[in-house]
Amino acid sequence: MVECRVVVVNRLGLHARAASQVVRLANQFQSTIRLERADGSAVADAKSILSVLMLAAARGTELRAVAEGVDEREALDRLCELFAKGFGEEAEK
Amino acid sequence: MSESITSSPAITVRDFIAQAPEQLELRVLAGAGGAEGRELTVPRIQKLGLALAGFTNYIHTGRLQIVGQSEIWFLGQLDSEKRAEAIRHLSLERISCVLVTKGLEPPVELVEEAERAGLPLLQTPLVSSIAINVVTDFLQEALAPRAVRHGVLLDVYGLGVLIEGTSGIGKSECALDLISRGHRLVSDDVIEVKRIGTDKVIGSAPELLREHLEIRGLGILNIRDLFGVSAISSAKTLDLSIKLERWDRAGEVDRLGIDPRSTEVLGVRVPQVLIPVSPGRNLSTLVETAVRIQLLRSRGYDAAQEFVARHTLILESKQ
Repeated sequence: MVECRVVVVNRLGLHARAASQVVRLANQFQSTIRLERADGSAVADAKSILSVLMLAAARGTELRAVAEGVDEREALDRLCELFAKGFGEEAEK
Repeated sequence: MSESITSSPAITVRDFIAQAPEQLELRVLAGAGGAEGRELTVPRIQKLGLALAGFTNYIHTGRLQIVGQSEIWFLGQLDSEKRAEAIRHLSLERISCVLVTKGLEPPVELVEEAERAGLPLLQTPLVSSIAINVVTDFLQEALAPRAVRHGVLLDVYGLGVLIEGTSGIGKSECALDLISRGHRLVSDDVIEVKRIGTDKVIGSAPELLREHLEIRGLGILNIRDLFGVSAISSAKTLDLSIKLERWDRAGEVDRLGIDPRSTEVLGVRVPQVLIPVSPGRNLSTLVETAVRIQLLRSRGYDAAQEFVARHTLILESKQ
Protein backbone atom coordinates (compact mmCIF):
# COMPACT_ATOMS: atom_id res chain seq x y z
CA MET A 1 0.00 0.00 0.00
CA VAL A 2 1.30 3.44 -0.91
CA GLU A 3 -0.13 6.84 -0.18
CA CYS A 4 0.50 10.52 -0.76
CA ARG A 5 -1.04 13.88 0.03
CA VAL A 6 -2.61 15.89 -2.76
CA VAL A 7 -4.11 19.35 -2.71
CA VAL A 8 -6.89 20.52 -4.99
CA VAL A 9 -5.20 23.49 -6.66
CA ASN A 10 -7.51 24.42 -9.50
CA ARG A 11 -9.96 27.25 -9.09
CA LEU A 12 -13.16 25.24 -9.49
CA GLY A 13 -12.15 22.49 -7.11
CA LEU A 14 -12.83 18.82 -7.78
CA HIS A 15 -15.79 19.62 -9.99
CA ALA A 16 -17.64 17.22 -12.26
CA ARG A 17 -15.27 17.25 -15.22
CA ALA A 18 -12.20 17.02 -12.99
CA ALA A 19 -13.78 14.15 -11.10
CA SER A 20 -14.47 12.32 -14.32
CA GLN A 21 -10.78 12.68 -15.25
CA VAL A 22 -9.81 11.17 -11.89
CA VAL A 23 -12.19 8.26 -12.43
CA ARG A 24 -11.04 7.68 -15.99
CA LEU A 25 -7.43 7.56 -14.84
CA ALA A 26 -8.14 5.34 -11.84
CA ASN A 27 -9.93 2.84 -14.02
CA GLN A 28 -6.79 2.29 -16.06
CA PHE A 29 -5.17 0.55 -13.08
CA GLN A 30 -5.85 -2.73 -11.35
CA SER A 31 -5.06 -1.39 -7.89
CA THR A 32 -7.82 -0.16 -5.63
CA ILE A 33 -7.47 3.58 -5.21
CA ARG A 34 -9.03 5.62 -2.42
CA LEU A 35 -9.28 9.33 -1.91
CA GLU A 36 -9.84 10.53 1.66
CA ARG A 37 -10.34 13.98 3.04
CA ALA A 38 -7.34 14.72 5.25
CA ASP A 39 -9.64 15.29 8.23
CA GLY A 40 -11.12 11.83 7.69
CA SER A 41 -14.65 13.15 7.12
CA ALA A 42 -15.11 11.41 3.76
CA VAL A 43 -13.65 8.51 1.84
CA ALA A 44 -14.13 7.87 -1.87
CA ASP A 45 -13.43 5.04 -4.26
CA ALA A 46 -11.50 6.79 -7.04
CA LYS A 47 -13.05 4.49 -9.64
CA SER A 48 -16.60 5.59 -8.86
CA ILE A 49 -17.73 8.95 -10.18
CA LEU A 50 -20.49 9.56 -7.64
CA SER A 51 -18.18 8.62 -4.83
CA VAL A 52 -15.54 11.11 -5.97
CA LEU A 53 -18.13 13.84 -6.40
CA MET A 54 -19.34 13.21 -2.82
CA LEU A 55 -15.95 14.37 -1.55
CA ALA A 56 -17.12 17.86 -2.48
CA ALA A 57 -13.49 18.95 -2.50
CA ALA A 58 -13.30 22.68 -3.11
CA ARG A 59 -10.11 24.51 -4.00
CA GLY A 60 -7.48 24.15 -1.29
CA THR A 61 -8.88 20.92 0.09
CA GLU A 62 -6.22 18.49 1.21
CA LEU A 63 -6.75 14.84 0.31
CA ARG A 64 -4.96 11.61 1.03
CA ALA A 65 -4.62 9.27 -1.96
CA VAL A 66 -4.11 5.62 -1.15
CA ALA A 67 -3.38 2.92 -3.71
CA GLU A 68 -3.08 -0.78 -3.13
CA GLY A 69 -2.35 -3.47 -5.70
CA VAL A 70 0.11 -4.64 -8.32
CA ASP A 71 0.43 -1.28 -10.05
CA GLU A 72 -0.05 0.91 -6.96
CA ARG A 73 3.11 2.98 -7.43
CA GLU A 74 2.38 4.04 -10.98
CA ALA A 75 -1.28 4.63 -10.21
CA LEU A 76 -0.45 6.92 -7.32
CA ASP A 77 2.18 8.86 -9.27
CA ARG A 78 -0.18 9.49 -12.16
CA LEU A 79 -2.97 10.55 -9.81
CA CYS A 80 -0.76 12.98 -7.90
CA GLU A 81 0.43 14.41 -11.18
CA LEU A 82 -3.18 14.95 -12.32
CA PHE A 83 -4.00 16.86 -9.13
CA ALA A 84 -0.74 18.84 -9.26
CA LYS A 85 -1.36 20.16 -12.73
CA GLY A 86 -4.89 21.17 -11.77
CA PHE A 87 -6.55 18.74 -14.21
CA GLY A 88 -4.98 20.54 -17.12
CA GLU A 89 -7.07 23.61 -16.49
CA GLU A 90 -5.92 27.20 -16.23
CA ALA A 91 -2.49 27.82 -14.67
CA GLU A 92 -2.97 28.68 -11.00
CA LYS A 93 -1.30 31.63 -9.37
CA MET B 1 -18.22 6.93 -41.33
CA SER B 2 -19.98 3.78 -42.52
CA GLU B 3 -21.80 5.72 -45.14
CA SER B 4 -21.56 5.71 -48.89
CA ILE B 5 -23.33 8.05 -51.25
CA THR B 6 -25.27 5.91 -53.69
CA SER B 7 -26.48 8.40 -56.24
CA SER B 8 -25.87 11.92 -57.41
CA PRO B 9 -29.01 13.98 -57.36
CA ALA B 10 -30.40 13.91 -60.89
CA ILE B 11 -33.41 12.40 -62.59
CA THR B 12 -33.84 11.98 -66.32
CA VAL B 13 -36.88 13.61 -67.84
CA ARG B 14 -38.00 10.17 -68.95
CA ASP B 15 -38.02 8.96 -65.33
CA PHE B 16 -39.74 12.15 -64.28
CA ILE B 17 -42.54 11.49 -66.77
CA ALA B 18 -42.81 7.87 -65.68
CA GLN B 19 -42.73 8.47 -61.93
CA ALA B 20 -44.43 11.85 -61.54
CA PRO B 21 -47.54 11.89 -59.33
CA GLU B 22 -50.68 10.81 -61.15
CA GLN B 23 -52.53 13.99 -60.30
CA LEU B 24 -50.29 15.83 -62.80
CA GLU B 25 -51.87 13.73 -65.61
CA LEU B 26 -48.86 14.48 -67.77
CA ARG B 27 -49.21 14.40 -71.53
CA VAL B 28 -46.19 14.56 -73.78
CA LEU B 29 -46.92 17.03 -76.59
CA ALA B 30 -43.54 16.92 -78.31
CA GLY B 31 -39.87 16.13 -77.97
CA ALA B 32 -40.23 12.70 -76.38
CA GLY B 33 -37.02 11.65 -78.10
CA GLY B 34 -34.94 13.93 -75.86
CA ALA B 35 -36.43 12.71 -72.58
CA GLU B 36 -33.76 10.09 -71.99
CA GLY B 37 -30.81 12.42 -72.46
CA ARG B 38 -32.06 15.36 -70.39
CA GLU B 39 -31.93 15.60 -66.65
CA LEU B 40 -33.57 17.58 -63.90
CA THR B 41 -31.09 18.39 -61.13
CA VAL B 42 -32.82 21.11 -59.10
CA PRO B 43 -36.18 20.71 -57.33
CA ARG B 44 -37.12 24.38 -57.85
CA ILE B 45 -38.96 25.16 -61.07
CA GLN B 46 -38.59 28.26 -63.24
CA LYS B 47 -41.17 30.16 -65.22
CA LEU B 48 -40.11 30.94 -68.74
CA GLY B 49 -41.56 34.44 -68.36
CA LEU B 50 -39.00 37.06 -69.30
CA ALA B 51 -36.93 34.57 -71.27
CA LEU B 52 -39.62 34.76 -73.97
CA ALA B 53 -39.02 38.50 -74.21
CA GLY B 54 -35.36 37.89 -74.95
CA PHE B 55 -33.89 37.92 -71.45
CA THR B 56 -32.57 34.37 -71.54
CA ASN B 57 -29.51 34.74 -69.30
CA TYR B 58 -31.16 33.29 -66.24
CA ILE B 59 -32.48 30.10 -67.77
CA HIS B 60 -31.13 27.33 -65.60
CA THR B 61 -30.37 24.00 -67.23
CA GLY B 62 -31.62 21.27 -64.93
CA ARG B 63 -34.80 23.01 -63.85
CA LEU B 64 -38.27 22.34 -65.08
CA GLN B 65 -39.63 25.33 -67.00
CA ILE B 66 -43.26 26.23 -66.41
CA VAL B 67 -45.34 27.81 -69.16
CA GLY B 68 -48.58 29.20 -67.80
CA GLN B 69 -51.32 31.56 -68.84
CA SER B 70 -49.11 34.66 -68.96
CA GLU B 71 -46.52 33.03 -71.22
CA ILE B 72 -49.23 31.74 -73.55
CA TRP B 73 -50.87 35.17 -73.68
CA PHE B 74 -47.55 36.83 -74.34
CA LEU B 75 -46.77 34.46 -77.21
CA GLY B 76 -50.32 34.78 -78.52
CA GLN B 77 -50.08 38.52 -79.04
CA LEU B 78 -46.95 38.22 -81.17
CA ASP B 79 -47.24 37.60 -84.87
CA SER B 80 -46.17 34.21 -86.10
CA GLU B 81 -42.70 35.29 -87.21
CA LYS B 82 -41.85 37.08 -83.94
CA ARG B 83 -43.22 34.13 -82.01
CA ALA B 84 -40.96 31.67 -83.85
CA GLU B 85 -38.02 33.99 -83.27
CA ALA B 86 -38.77 34.34 -79.53
CA ILE B 87 -38.91 30.57 -79.23
CA ARG B 88 -35.72 29.92 -81.20
CA HIS B 89 -33.95 32.57 -79.13
CA LEU B 90 -34.55 30.43 -76.01
CA SER B 91 -31.93 27.96 -77.26
CA LEU B 92 -34.10 24.98 -76.51
CA GLU B 93 -31.09 22.65 -76.37
CA ARG B 94 -30.20 24.12 -72.98
CA ILE B 95 -33.63 23.56 -71.47
CA SER B 96 -34.36 20.25 -69.74
CA CYS B 97 -38.10 20.17 -69.96
CA VAL B 98 -41.11 22.46 -70.38
CA LEU B 99 -44.43 21.97 -68.64
CA VAL B 100 -47.51 23.78 -69.94
CA THR B 101 -50.11 24.16 -67.20
CA LYS B 102 -53.89 24.56 -67.02
CA GLY B 103 -54.32 22.33 -70.08
CA LEU B 104 -53.36 25.28 -72.31
CA GLU B 105 -52.52 24.64 -75.94
CA PRO B 106 -49.01 25.90 -76.69
CA PRO B 107 -48.52 27.71 -80.00
CA VAL B 108 -47.69 25.44 -82.89
CA GLU B 109 -44.27 27.11 -83.27
CA LEU B 110 -43.30 25.95 -79.79
CA VAL B 111 -44.48 22.40 -80.48
CA GLU B 112 -42.52 22.27 -83.73
CA GLU B 113 -39.33 23.73 -82.27
CA ALA B 114 -39.51 21.42 -79.24
CA GLU B 115 -39.92 18.42 -81.51
CA ARG B 116 -36.99 19.53 -83.62
CA ALA B 117 -34.73 20.16 -80.61
CA GLY B 118 -35.84 17.01 -78.80
CA LEU B 119 -37.07 19.12 -75.90
CA PRO B 120 -39.78 17.30 -73.93
CA LEU B 121 -42.87 19.51 -73.98
CA LEU B 122 -45.38 18.35 -71.38
CA GLN B 123 -48.87 19.41 -70.47
CA THR B 124 -50.91 19.16 -67.28
CA PRO B 125 -54.51 20.14 -66.57
CA LEU B 126 -53.50 21.59 -63.16
CA VAL B 127 -53.19 25.35 -62.75
CA SER B 128 -49.64 26.68 -62.33
CA SER B 129 -49.74 27.22 -58.56
CA ILE B 130 -50.80 23.65 -57.85
CA ALA B 131 -48.67 22.09 -60.58
CA ILE B 132 -45.61 23.89 -59.18
CA ASN B 133 -46.29 22.53 -55.69
CA VAL B 134 -46.76 19.01 -56.92
CA VAL B 135 -43.65 19.10 -59.12
CA THR B 136 -41.48 20.67 -56.41
CA ASP B 137 -42.59 18.16 -53.78
CA PHE B 138 -41.89 15.29 -56.12
CA LEU B 139 -38.49 16.59 -57.19
CA GLN B 140 -37.42 17.40 -53.64
CA GLU B 141 -38.04 13.80 -52.75
CA ALA B 142 -36.53 12.40 -55.94
CA LEU B 143 -33.43 14.61 -55.80
CA ALA B 144 -32.77 14.32 -52.05
CA PRO B 145 -29.15 13.38 -51.27
CA ARG B 146 -29.06 9.68 -50.46
CA ALA B 147 -26.68 7.26 -48.84
CA VAL B 148 -26.55 3.84 -47.30
CA ARG B 149 -25.78 3.40 -43.64
CA HIS B 150 -25.15 0.21 -41.70
CA GLY B 151 -26.94 -0.57 -38.47
CA VAL B 152 -30.49 -1.19 -37.33
CA LEU B 153 -33.13 1.50 -37.44
CA LEU B 154 -36.04 1.29 -35.01
CA ASP B 155 -38.86 3.43 -33.81
CA VAL B 156 -38.54 3.56 -30.01
CA TYR B 157 -41.11 5.66 -28.14
CA GLY B 158 -41.63 7.60 -31.36
CA LEU B 159 -37.97 8.48 -31.90
CA GLY B 160 -36.00 7.09 -34.82
CA VAL B 161 -33.11 5.23 -33.22
CA LEU B 162 -30.15 4.02 -35.25
CA ILE B 163 -28.19 1.27 -33.53
CA GLU B 164 -24.62 1.11 -34.81
CA GLY B 165 -21.53 -0.88 -33.97
CA THR B 166 -19.15 -3.42 -35.42
CA SER B 167 -20.40 -6.69 -36.83
CA GLY B 168 -21.27 -9.28 -34.19
CA ILE B 169 -21.63 -6.83 -31.31
CA GLY B 170 -25.32 -7.62 -30.96
CA LYS B 171 -27.20 -4.93 -32.84
CA SER B 172 -29.81 -7.29 -34.27
CA GLU B 173 -30.25 -9.12 -30.95
CA CYS B 174 -30.76 -5.79 -29.23
CA ALA B 175 -33.28 -4.85 -31.93
CA LEU B 176 -35.17 -8.13 -31.45
CA ASP B 177 -35.36 -7.49 -27.73
CA LEU B 178 -36.73 -4.01 -28.37
CA ILE B 179 -39.27 -5.34 -30.87
CA SER B 180 -40.49 -7.91 -28.35
CA ARG B 181 -41.03 -5.01 -25.96
CA GLY B 182 -43.34 -3.37 -28.45
CA HIS B 183 -41.03 -1.09 -30.41
CA ARG B 184 -40.97 -1.10 -34.20
CA LEU B 185 -38.42 -2.20 -36.76
CA VAL B 186 -37.68 0.03 -39.73
CA SER B 187 -34.65 -1.70 -41.23
CA ASP B 188 -31.97 -4.19 -40.28
CA ASP B 189 -28.37 -4.02 -41.47
CA VAL B 190 -28.77 -1.78 -44.50
CA ILE B 191 -30.53 1.53 -44.14
CA GLU B 192 -31.24 3.84 -47.02
CA VAL B 193 -31.02 7.39 -45.77
CA LYS B 194 -32.03 10.55 -47.53
CA ARG B 195 -31.80 14.15 -46.45
CA ILE B 196 -34.90 16.29 -46.56
CA GLY B 197 -34.13 20.00 -46.46
CA THR B 198 -31.04 20.83 -44.45
CA ASP B 199 -31.66 19.32 -41.02
CA LYS B 200 -33.64 16.14 -41.38
CA VAL B 201 -32.56 12.66 -42.42
CA ILE B 202 -35.05 9.90 -43.08
CA GLY B 203 -34.10 6.24 -43.05
CA SER B 204 -35.96 3.37 -44.63
CA ALA B 205 -35.41 -0.25 -45.61
CA PRO B 206 -34.37 -1.41 -49.05
CA GLU B 207 -37.31 -3.19 -50.69
CA LEU B 208 -35.76 -6.65 -50.29
CA LEU B 209 -34.94 -6.34 -46.60
CA ARG B 210 -38.17 -4.70 -45.51
CA GLU B 211 -39.71 -6.32 -42.38
CA HIS B 212 -36.80 -8.74 -42.03
CA LEU B 213 -34.24 -9.21 -39.32
CA GLU B 214 -31.30 -11.59 -39.31
CA ILE B 215 -30.32 -13.24 -36.03
CA ARG B 216 -27.35 -15.56 -35.80
CA GLY B 217 -28.64 -19.01 -34.93
CA LEU B 218 -32.23 -18.24 -35.92
CA GLY B 219 -31.68 -17.09 -39.47
CA ILE B 220 -33.81 -14.56 -41.30
CA LEU B 221 -36.98 -13.62 -39.44
CA ASN B 222 -40.05 -11.94 -40.83
CA ILE B 223 -40.97 -9.50 -38.11
CA ARG B 224 -44.43 -8.81 -39.45
CA ASP B 225 -45.32 -12.53 -39.40
CA LEU B 226 -43.83 -13.06 -35.97
CA PHE B 227 -44.93 -9.91 -34.13
CA GLY B 228 -47.67 -8.39 -36.24
CA VAL B 229 -48.04 -5.27 -38.28
CA SER B 230 -47.54 -2.96 -35.32
CA ALA B 231 -43.94 -4.17 -34.98
CA ILE B 232 -42.78 -2.60 -38.23
CA SER B 233 -42.56 0.89 -39.59
CA SER B 234 -41.75 1.91 -43.13
CA ALA B 235 -39.60 5.00 -42.66
CA LYS B 236 -38.38 7.10 -39.77
CA THR B 237 -36.38 10.25 -39.10
CA LEU B 238 -32.96 9.64 -37.56
CA ASP B 239 -33.28 11.27 -34.13
CA LEU B 240 -30.69 9.39 -32.10
CA SER B 241 -27.72 7.16 -32.80
CA ILE B 242 -26.77 4.47 -30.30
CA LYS B 243 -23.24 3.23 -30.76
CA LEU B 244 -22.49 -0.13 -29.21
CA GLU B 245 -18.84 -0.73 -28.41
CA ARG B 246 -16.91 -3.48 -26.65
CA TRP B 247 -16.29 -2.54 -23.02
CA ASP B 248 -12.49 -2.71 -23.34
CA ARG B 249 -12.50 -0.38 -26.33
CA ALA B 250 -14.92 2.16 -24.95
CA GLY B 251 -12.22 4.09 -23.11
CA GLU B 252 -13.71 7.53 -23.43
CA VAL B 253 -17.16 6.73 -22.12
CA ASP B 254 -18.83 9.76 -20.59
CA ARG B 255 -19.47 8.75 -16.98
CA LEU B 256 -21.60 11.76 -16.17
CA GLY B 257 -23.52 12.16 -19.39
CA ILE B 258 -22.54 15.80 -19.71
CA ASP B 259 -20.52 15.65 -22.92
CA PRO B 260 -22.97 15.30 -25.77
CA ARG B 261 -21.61 13.33 -28.72
CA SER B 262 -22.98 13.34 -32.21
CA THR B 263 -22.49 11.66 -35.52
CA GLU B 264 -22.99 13.02 -39.01
CA VAL B 265 -25.38 11.56 -41.54
CA LEU B 266 -25.49 13.28 -44.93
CA GLY B 267 -24.16 16.44 -43.31
CA VAL B 268 -26.82 16.48 -40.57
CA ARG B 269 -25.69 16.13 -36.95
CA VAL B 270 -27.48 13.39 -35.07
CA PRO B 271 -27.03 13.07 -31.28
CA GLN B 272 -25.17 9.92 -30.34
CA VAL B 273 -24.86 7.84 -27.18
CA LEU B 274 -21.94 5.47 -26.75
CA ILE B 275 -22.95 2.34 -24.85
CA PRO B 276 -20.25 -0.13 -23.82
CA VAL B 277 -21.32 -3.74 -24.20
CA SER B 278 -20.47 -6.42 -21.69
CA PRO B 279 -22.18 -9.46 -20.17
CA GLY B 280 -24.82 -8.54 -17.65
CA ARG B 281 -25.75 -5.26 -19.27
CA ASN B 282 -29.27 -5.34 -20.62
CA LEU B 283 -28.89 -3.47 -23.88
CA SER B 284 -32.55 -2.96 -24.66
CA THR B 285 -33.19 -1.39 -21.26
CA LEU B 286 -30.18 0.85 -21.80
CA VAL B 287 -31.41 1.87 -25.26
CA GLU B 288 -34.93 2.57 -23.97
CA THR B 289 -33.47 4.70 -21.19
CA ALA B 290 -31.19 6.56 -23.61
CA VAL B 291 -34.29 7.38 -25.65
CA ARG B 292 -36.13 8.62 -22.57
CA ILE B 293 -33.16 10.83 -21.73
CA GLN B 294 -33.13 12.16 -25.29
CA LEU B 295 -36.85 12.88 -25.11
CA LEU B 296 -36.31 14.89 -21.92
CA ARG B 297 -33.30 16.69 -23.39
CA SER B 298 -35.24 17.68 -26.48
CA ARG B 299 -37.75 19.27 -24.11
CA GLY B 300 -35.03 21.19 -22.32
CA TYR B 301 -34.46 19.03 -19.26
CA ASP B 302 -31.07 17.46 -18.64
CA ALA B 303 -30.66 15.58 -15.38
CA ALA B 304 -26.87 15.27 -15.65
CA GLN B 305 -26.45 19.01 -16.19
CA GLU B 306 -28.69 19.76 -13.22
CA PHE B 307 -26.75 17.36 -11.06
CA VAL B 308 -23.46 18.99 -12.03
CA ALA B 309 -24.91 22.43 -11.34
CA ARG B 310 -25.96 21.32 -7.85
CA HIS B 311 -22.52 19.88 -7.22
CA THR B 312 -20.87 23.09 -8.37
CA LEU B 313 -23.05 25.09 -5.97
CA ILE B 314 -21.95 22.87 -3.09
CA LEU B 315 -18.28 23.28 -4.05
CA GLU B 316 -18.66 27.03 -4.24
CA SER B 317 -20.36 27.24 -0.85
CA LYS B 318 -17.38 25.44 0.66
CA GLN B 319 -14.82 27.86 -0.65
